[in-house]
Amino acid sequence: MRNLIAFLLRFQGVMLFVLLEVVSLFLFITNSSYQRAAFFNSANAYAGAVLARRTQIADYFRLDELNRQLLADNAKLRQQLYPPDFSRREADSLPVGRDTLGHLIYRHLRPDPSQALAAATAPGLGQNAKPKKPNALARPDTLLLGGAKLATHDADYPLVAARVLNNSLRAVDNYLTLNVGTADGVQPGLGVLSAAGVVGQVKSASAHYATVFSLLHSKMAIAAKIKRDGTFGSVKWPGEDYSHALLDYIPRQNRLVRGDSVVTSGYNAVFPEGVFIGTVESFVKEPDKNFWTVHLRLGVDFSRLTYVYVVHNRPRTERDSLETALTAPEPAPVKPAKQPTRPTR
Amino acid sequence: MSVLGVLVRQLLRFGLYAGMQVFIVGQLSLFGLGWCFLYLGFVLFLPLGTPIVLQLLLGFGMGLAMDISYDTGGLHAAAAVLLAYLRPWVLRLLTPRDGYDAQDTVNVHQMGWQWFMVYLLLLVSLHHVAYFFLELGSFQHPLLTLARVGVSILFTSTALLIVQLLFFPVRRTRS
Repeated sequence: MRNLIAFLLRFQGVMLFVLLEVVSLFLFITNSSYQRAAFFNSANAYAGAVLARRTQIADYFRLDELNRQLLADNAKLRQQLYPPDFSRREADSLPVGRDTLGHLIYRHLRPDPSQALAAATAPGLGQNAKPKKPNALARPDTLLLGGAKLATHDADYPLVAARVLNNSLRAVDNYLTLNVGTADGVQPGLGVLSAAGVVGQVKSASAHYATVFSLLHSKMAIAAKIKRDGTFGSVKWPGEDYSHALLDYIPRQNRLVRGDSVVTSGYNAVFPEGVFIGTVESFVKEPDKNFWTVHLRLGVDFSRLTYVYVVHNRPRTERDSLETALTAPEPAPVKPAKQPTRPTR
Repeated sequence: MSVLGVLVRQLLRFGLYAGMQVFIVGQLSLFGLGWCFLYLGFVLFLPLGTPIVLQLLLGFGMGLAMDISYDTGGLHAAAAVLLAYLRPWVLRLLTPRDGYDAQDTVNVHQMGWQWFMVYLLLLVSLHHVAYFFLELGSFQHPLLTLARVGVSILFTSTALLIVQLLFFPVRRTRS
């Protein structure tokens, strides 16, 4: 027994060293997995408060730059608000669509189904007043994020605006810290966009702060497509330069054009479809690969990321439950939770 | 100095190094490659007689604090624990001819330039090599990573040297 104690005392340094190394390497290796308490990262309330204070102080020194960014965003939004005169002009011929049974629909001859319903339920109200009034619900406010329009006022799927508190660029795996958390409706797994395009995906969230996998993360892959012809691929960050990424899995026989836009495909149900990622900058055919090696210039400038938006992709829960139901043994009888009150566009 | 005094002093040092790192130095980068690990000064400039167990625990605590701020899981902690473990070895390697005095501290004025630079560069280099190659998880971009290691060694060593020249006493203090 005395020998054992003497042994432990003699090698206490080595043993503690090995123990601490194992603990830290365990924490490091499991860092990229999702299901992890928000304590050991910067979404932790104390670290979050410190980082928020740092941002507050640092902002004073770059007010000029922040203002310029907001001005640029404003200008873009104003352009959306005041489109050219002829953009709302209607064509001479009637637009023709087909319904689910294949019958032709003449949209101008038939009232909007929601308005027809409203008119049917409230016949007392005059027929003449109803259709004139612009229906605020049917036309939700939208925000143009990376070229995709997203509704801003939607109780079920809120769009959460957030400020970036912490942002790393030069590590192999980069993360962001945001000043919104579960109290604002942010959950792990949601997508993060900025006005210029895709930023990342929420990793974990505490009550008031959230940690985000940046697009500049070695394990991040974003389902993407080339906007011009719809070829699907996957965007990965090779780990060198924060303004460039790679687009994988574009077959060799496809023709590529320099300057093509690459947008999200909406396949992985994290981001809405059609959000801008970047433009094709160069492409080479390597002899030992079946795919093009495509270099993208990212739309988002990660070095000056300030305001971002956390998005909920609408059909996500529905799709995930559908995809898991395929393997589930006995699906419970599903009934629609709520009658949709307005047509989805 | 009493035990309580030592404790308070070390806590203050911990807070100062961690605060400087998170608030100011961590935002800077040299040539877009190097990063400054100022917080290593906390471990490097501990008293010479600190027990190894205490050194390891302090290194781990400091590393974990950095991991929490920078979302690296346990990367800083792993490298800092390695540094704390290697420090006594390097100190033994650099023992002066007549051994360390009781009042000796890691101080560029007392121990001399040569001793201090070897001590600093050796430990910082070991730490940075461990850190950057662990972070990479592989040897995919060896040249880029070596460039990062080199520039970071330059940055960290210069910063720590400045800390020494500014804040460490020129004369020996009676304690």
